[in-house]
Amino acid sequence: MKTSLFIAIVLLSGFSAGVIHGLLNLFMVEPFLDTAIGIENKNMFATGEAADTPDFWVEYYSYRAWQKGGQILAGAILGTSVGSLFGVVLAYSRNVLPGNNFVKKTLALALIMWITVYVIPFVKYPANPPTVGDPETIVLRQTLYLAFIAISGFAAVGFYQLYKRIDKKLLAFIGYGAFMTAMFFVMPGNPDPITAPEDLISGFRISSVITVSVFWLAAGLILGVLWQKFNPDKIKQTTPQ
Amino acid sequence: MSYSKEITVSKSGVPKIALVALAAVFVFGLFVVGYDQGHLFSVVFGEQAFADLYIHELTHDMRHAAGFPCH
Repeated sequence: MKTSLFIAIVLLSGFSAGVIHGLLNLFMVEPFLDTAIGIENKNMFATGEAADTPDFWVEYYSYRAWQKGGQILAGAILGTSVGSLFGVVLAYSRNVLPGNNFVKKTLALALIMWITVYVIPFVKYPANPPTVGDPETIVLRQTLYLAFIAISGFAAVGFYQLYKRIDKKLLAFIGYGAFMTAMFFVMPGNPDPITAPEDLISGFRISSVITVSVFWLAAGLILGVLWQKFNPDKIKQTTPQ
Repeated sequence: MSYSKEITVSKSGVPKIALVALAAVFVFGLFVVGYDQGHLFSVVFGEQAFADLYIHELTHDMRHAAGFPCH
């Protein structure tokens, strides 16, 4: 395998998918974030934690511009990061993934990883907009979320090992489903109450799911196309005759 | 008389250096976007970084949108 080419196409595909994710968020998720932060501001005015003054709004619009601009950069960083994990998993699984070309293989892997490291953790710990989340519980919530992603991801790898060794393949899928269902009830829930309006929460979550799903689709598609075009597995060798 | 011929072969091994590099990018990027609460800048700015939260604010909207827990 051509090491530098492999790394380059993995990073480029993750970066590109991340930028798409960030751009999409600006249109689909930002309106919900603005509404949620508006509620936060009203709460701060009501409790006297902040005053509704021109100075407040100057500072507010300044840091909101910083946060919104950060969507693209953070998307690029997160996309490159998750894309790197995607590349590592692809490197080990590319010979066993279904599909007769790399676009089909990467899309199949993107679907598997979307389910195991995004959808299943989301079901247990769904995304929340600002106004939901106590700063005092942030470390606990971050730990639980990361732990559930790791449990689901490693369980998928573990049950794949079982899948390879047994004749009744369906048992491996049932085993994974049963294990994750058990984990769903064993792991503690999000300790923070949801106080924001229900339509805000549901609208935000639907938009969040759509944009993250587009990220996984884009990551799979772009890496598949790049792999198909440049194939880092192929190397030229000179043989004596 | 001898001569050489160039052929294209397919090698399916995975270079360890590539895996280490990509794993490092994964961990660093995930920490920056999903988890930093001033930790990275605290190396330079000390305790003040935990109050300023520059990276947290920069990644704030993506952190929420991507499903990571936030304040």
